[in-house]
Amino acid sequence: MRLLVALAVAAFSGFVSLSYELLWFRVYGVANGALASSFPLLLGTYLLGLALGSLWSQVLCRDTSPTTGTRPLRLVTAFFVFANGVAYLSIPGFAAACTFTEGSPAPWMGLLTIFLGALFPLVAHFGVPADTRAGARVSYLYVANIVGSAAGSLLTGFWLMDVLSTAGISAVLLGGSMLGAALLLAGCGLTRRQLAGALVAVGVGGGGLLAAGPVLFDRLYERVQFQAKTEPGFRFTHVVENRSGVITVAPDGTIYGGGTYDGVFNTDPRGTDKNLIFRAYALSALHPAPRRVLMIGLSSGSWAQVVANLPGVEELTVVEINPGYRDLLAHYPQVASLAHNPKVRIEFDDGRRWLTTHPDARFDIIVANTMVHWAGGSAHVLSREFNELVKAHLSPGGVYFFNTTASHRASRTATDVFPYSVGVAHCLAVADTPIQVDLERWRAAMLRMRIDGVPVFEAGREEDRRALDALEARVSGSLEARPRMLRRTDAAVPVTDDNMGHEWD
Amino acid sequence: MRATLSAPEPLVPESPVMDPLAEPRSAAGVLPLRWVAPVFFASGFSALLYQTVWQRALFTHYGTNVESVTVIVTAFMVGLGAGSLLGGVYSRDPRRPALLAFCLVEAAIGLFGLVSLPLIEKVGALTLGMGTLGTGVVSLLLVLVPTTLMGATLPVLVAFAVRLWGNVGRSVGALYFVNTLGSAAASFAAAFFVMSHLGQAGTVQLAAGLNLGVALLVSLVLRRGRA
Repeated sequence: MRLLVALAVAAFSGFVSLSYELLWFRVYGVANGALASSFPLLLGTYLLGLALGSLWSQVLCRDTSPTTGTRPLRLVTAFFVFANGVAYLSIPGFAAACTFTEGSPAPWMGLLTIFLGALFPLVAHFGVPADTRAGARVSYLYVANIVGSAAGSLLTGFWLMDVLSTAGISAVLLGGSMLGAALLLAGCGLTRRQLAGALVAVGVGGGGLLAAGPVLFDRLYERVQFQAKTEPGFRFTHVVENRSGVITVAPDGTIYGGGTYDGVFNTDPRGTDKNLIFRAYALSALHPAPRRVLMIGLSSGSWAQVVANLPGVEELTVVEINPGYRDLLAHYPQVASLAHNPKVRIEFDDGRRWLTTHPDARFDIIVANTMVHWAGGSAHVLSREFNELVKAHLSPGGVYFFNTTASHRASRTATDVFPYSVGVAHCLAVADTPIQVDLERWRAAMLRMRIDGVPVFEAGREEDRRALDALEARVSGSLEARPRMLRRTDAAVPVTDDNMGHEWD
Repeated sequence: MRATLSAPEPLVPESPVMDPLAEPRSAAGVLPLRWVAPVFFASGFSALLYQTVWQRALFTHYGTNVESVTVIVTAFMVGLGAGSLLGGVYSRDPRRPALLAFCLVEAAIGLFGLVSLPLIEKVGALTLGMGTLGTGVVSLLLVLVPTTLMGATLPVLVAFAVRLWGNVGRSVGALYFVNTLGSAAASFAAAFFVMSHLGQAGTVQLAAGLNLGVALLVSLVLRRGRA
């Protein structure tokens, strides 16, 4: 086998392997609830598959005069076709297996790299003579493999994942591999009849898989996210797949980011209030006159909609990492106006990076209702270093209000950094100056507050007055004073960038 | 793993490519093979630990948005590719000592590892606010030296193994197997134990300790070979 063909196969297998790694991580991350361990577990099985493939390849490499004849290329081609066909079926297979799974599924599809892993030593064996330049030539193959992998990272991770669904990218990869298989077959020294037969076989097999795609990938995220609990016929109202992740919305308005609860489309503090939105309204009790507000994380936009309409707020900057959340706003009337509100500016960036790149920005209130404390990357927005960064961006008398998601460690970290604090349900308000909770001021603000021109509470309506009383009782009943909180979190180890908090628990 | 490297085939080159000047006699003979598997496993183990922690540390400074993630991952690959080419160039001359080079490379990776987190912290603080291109360039510069060294290990050891076995597929397969298996083991270890118990600094220290231990072990083997 010629070195050039070996280089092309090594590059293409690197591209396909890394592209599938990205797709597997996207799908497995949803199945595993965005845990920090998702990536190393998937990477571990991926590498284990490559390692076992290398081991297996040694059996096929016993021939020590490998570069003669077309048999090596036929063997490589057969491996190539089989590996790519199996890879295409990996995600539908994982989704199907998920429907029988209770709890976190194993990322077994990573093991399928056993076939792709066998390809690299195989092409090295057949493409590189065992002479003194073997190390150098293998390095070319290795580089070709890495170039293919880097192309997968850039092309698939940066572009395809933003414009195509998982099913679409899988189809593109299968189509590319069918083309590659046809080129390899053309060099296999087959007779015209044999070549035609092989091409028809590849075309029928690959075409059949592509035709079955809509069935194979149907309700992919419903099955992956809810697994054995998936109800027959259940469908998400919206599924947004882009390079920043996967957002799903259930028919009841619950929104999920990477398979984890991320809020509900709801701005009404009355009734069931499934997203505890009353905490956003409580901000008016914690700061006397918030004018400039920064919100890290948009999600459903419900919190942003409430905060943007709090009396006195003149400017709300929202920093969100995934543009997909903004695209959903238009579908939900409770938050649709947020996208056009002149007071609101939505920026797409990592929240922490935005703070570091805007060192002079100061805010009266900074709100972070971002992610659950056990999710991967949560320490980026819960650590002592992050709290100190936030502190540097508060105006005099400013308040940082964030969701601890009931983590003692997150609470303790913030109370170590800020000398004043008040708990509100699972949220915590912290500041450098005393926080005066003024429910009278809050009540007056609620009676002035309008969303989309509609009063939230009308002073003259008995029903609204009773609802406001109930809300006031709810806010005051959820407050937790600092001494009690310090006692409750006494044994908690603060979160730091180094220990990464709960991420690896 | 060891069974793979001491397969029933004779450990004698089947093509006359071995140069007796390449390594001290016993270092090029059977003895080092006992060491190559575990040390290359440890090398792969430590490399994956570094990658896990360095990516995490770089994300802290440059953000976890997909642009940063992509450029950082690509920077790792560029380093590994460059290292592979350099290792390949080095291995062209069979008189060059492959095991000694491997030993020095491992020591250099370990020494870099020890200073890596403070270095990332300092550079990250100095380069705040850079765009995607700037992030890519700085990330590349930060990881270029260690990943180049890591990338160089495979072709150097392949050249060594081919001189012993005269079989490229078997050499690449065996070395790729133990090295990748080490990385896979490190992934599982990171997920279940290392990151939660050691944190970022402790994980990097463990990886550096493995590199320096590997370098020490190989140097002892080489000294025994010369004795």
